[in-house]
Order: sequence, then structure tokens, then C-alpha cells
Amino acid sequence: MRQFFPVEELARDERFHTITNRERMGDPRTVFHSSPQPRNNNRLTPSRKDASDAARALMHGIFVGEIQALEGAGRTCHDFETSTGGASDPDTVPFALKMDMARQAWDEARHVEISVLLSNWMGTEIGQYAENTVLFEAACSTDPVLRLAGVNRALEGLAIDVFTTMKEFGDLAGDPYLEFCEDWMLADEVTHVKMGSDWLRKVTENDPERRKKALEFQSVVDKLFSYGGTRSDSEESPIGLARRFRELAGFTDTEVEEIADVSLAALNERKAFVAKAHAAP
Amino acid sequence: MTVTVTPQTFNFVAYDAALIQRVTDELLASLGLTDRDVNVEVDETTPLARIRVEIGDAIAIRAESGAFEDTKRPRQQSEVATATSIGRVLLRVRDRLVGGFGEAPPDEELSLPQVAAWDAYCVGRLARLGIEVNEQRWRYNFRNRHGFTDEADEAFNKVWTSDGLTWGELQGITQGLSV
Repeated sequence: MRQFFPVEELARDERFHTITNRERMGDPRTVFHSSPQPRNNNRLTPSRKDASDAARALMHGIFVGEIQALEGAGRTCHDFETSTGGASDPDTVPFALKMDMARQAWDEARHVEISVLLSNWMGTEIGQYAENTVLFEAACSTDPVLRLAGVNRALEGLAIDVFTTMKEFGDLAGDPYLEFCEDWMLADEVTHVKMGSDWLRKVTENDPERRKKALEFQSVVDKLFSYGGTRSDSEESPIGLARRFRELAGFTDTEVEEIADVSLAALNERKAFVAKAHAAP
Repeated sequence: MTVTVTPQTFNFVAYDAALIQRVTDELLASLGLTDRDVNVEVDETTPLARIRVEIGDAIAIRAESGAFEDTKRPRQQSEVATATSIGRVLLRVRDRLVGGFGEAPPDEELSLPQVAAWDAYCVGRLARLGIEVNEQRWRYNFRNRHGFTDEADEAFNKVWTSDGLTWGELQGITQGLSV
């Protein structure tokens, strides 16, 4: 079986349509539709007029994200030889790390099944929305430590924020299935992030340069996945930052603050860009 | 009765004005709304999906581009989404003009539960006209506004399968359900 699988060759049937992040961000309407003075509150709650459709779209995003997370964790089990994974063997990973990735793949497979059922419940068909494959791209690094930083800490961290928002949505709307399922998946995501945090520290224990590089990569992915302010502490962002669950997942207070800053910076950059676009003749 | 669509050429999205016109023509014929002109204006600068209608000498529909979009292929048009969005507002127009909805509040004053109930009533009728709709999507929307209960589901079933309701009857079915 081949190693380091390219994103273009992910297996999808005719129900799916994949787009790149460039295509997604290149939609000219996403600039012009934004008011230079945006609403104070865009958080995904049932009080939004478009609440159910917005929740359905986010649920589909979760579904395809789970597929890609499954594929990413599975690749990390297979792509690297088993050894210490330390400074002398940087192209390898410890066996116990592979076991954690296998457990994660099992969790993600279950999440895919749950997401399909939730999508049915919400009236969404498989493949109804375009699939952005950027999550899997973050899982394609040739350095396993960068995968831990980019996928387990940045992307699974984002999953914590998304699941928390959806769980709260289900709670407020009185949807018992949504709230219950998101809560259970959230518990798994906290574990996945914790595994990433623990292994990152352990594998780079004697290699500060590699750790620094991994954390920089995480920061890049965190900013990329803040999607111009989609996730931040601000009520202007549809998805909030789940500070408490991030603490449980092994993020230090400083690290949570850094993510909050990166997310807010992404939101502010986005607002400045929109204001500039509107001001242009 | 004429249907005009603006713009005729789209720059931000790959939409077809002729398709919008044809879908609107077919809906008007199916709904028996043939005594007024219809102007469909598409705001292609936004991906949002709101659609508004005003009834005057002509029927003026203002749609954001997301209302006609194929969510699987961003910026491409979906005929089903176009028919569902336009059909929904045209049925509201018909209800107000001839369907016993004279005392319904103006659109901008409708509460979220009222909108959800009226949407379910409209889309149920569109399904019976042969337009492809996902009933569960509208049931979920209804539940979000009226509760995730057996009573709310029963009300949805009644609204979805009804024809010829008045505003008062629609209100009566959903009364006391809102979350």
C-alpha cells in the first residue's frame, strides 16, 4: 500500500463534490456580501433567522471533516515506520502513538456514522454541500510531529469549538439528539487533542527546534481554520472558542490565549479587507 | 403577464436568467397567478439565501444568490432550489391575495414560528406540484421553531398535507407549540 496519499486521490463516490480552499476563499461574493459594519452577533444560535439551514450546513461540514480526520489518522498509522520517533529517528513514530492514531481512526469512523444519522435527522443528504479537503491537506506533512500539531491540536481543537457550539445549539433549540450526539463526540475530540498535546511534548522532548517548528505550523493551521474570523471569542463569529474544553485537552492558558489572539486577528484582518473592498472605487 | 429577470447576465455566479424566467413562468401557470407581471431581481453579490416579495401592481421578488444556488457546486445554479425559493414566495403571494391570509401580518412582522409554519404549508404544496423537496429539512426547521415533540410533529404533518388553509386555521394548528 502506498504511503503519503495525495489529497487529489481521496476516494469519493459520485455524491461528493470536492473544492479546494482556494476555490472556497476565492468566491467574490464572500467579500462583497460582508458589510463594512458587520452585525454584532453572528453566533450560531436558534434565534438566527437562518438557524436551521446554517446548522444543517455546519453539520455537513462536520461530516466531511470526520471523514478526512479518519483518513488522516489512518495515514499516520501507516505512513511512518515504528521506532522511537525522537531526534535520532524523526521519520518514525512510537508504536504507542500508532495505537492512539488507530483508536482515533476508530472514533472518527463512529463520528462519520453519527454525522450521517444527524444529517438525515436535519434533512441533509450526503454530499449536499461541497467538500473542502483542506483538513486532509493538513494531515499530509511528511513530519509526523507536524501532523500532530496541525491535525490533533489545531483541527481537532477547532472540532472542540464546533462541537461545543453545536451542542449549545441543540440545547437551546430543545433538540435532544443533536445535543446528546455532539456531547459524546466532543468528549472524543478532547481526547484526540490531548493525545496530540501529549505526543508532541514527548516526541520533541529533546528537540526544541522541531517542537518550535511544529507549534508554528499549528499556528498557521489555526489561523487558516479561523476562516477569516469564523471561530473566535467575538460574538461576531458563528463559532465560539471553547476555552474550558481546550484546557481539558491539555492546552495551557497561554496557548489558549494565543489561539484566541490568532482567531481575533483573522477576524479583524477580514473586517479590514472587507472595508477596503467596499471603499474601493 | 410578463416575467422579467435582472440582471440578464451574471458576473459573480454562473446563473442563467432564462432558466429563472422559465421556472417562474411555469410556477405562475401552475399556481394560477397569471394576472400580474413578475419582476425577479437577483443580488449576486451575496451568497446569503434570503428571498423577499412585495405585492403591488406587479409582484417584485428580490432574491439573494444563495436562494438559487447548488450548495454542492458553489456559484452554480440549481433549478430545484430556484423553483423551491420562487415557489415558496409565490404561494405566499397567492395566499395573501386569494387564500384567506388577508389578516396575516406583513412578512417583516412575522415571528420565526409563523414563518416556519407558513414555509411548511407552502413547501408541502410545492411537493404535490412535483417539485423535488426534502420533507425532513422542513420538518427540522418546523421543529426548531415549534419544539421537538410528538405534538409539533403532528402539527407539521397536518400543515404539510393541507391545501386551502386560512391564516387563522394555520395559526390554530400551531397555537401553543412554539418553543
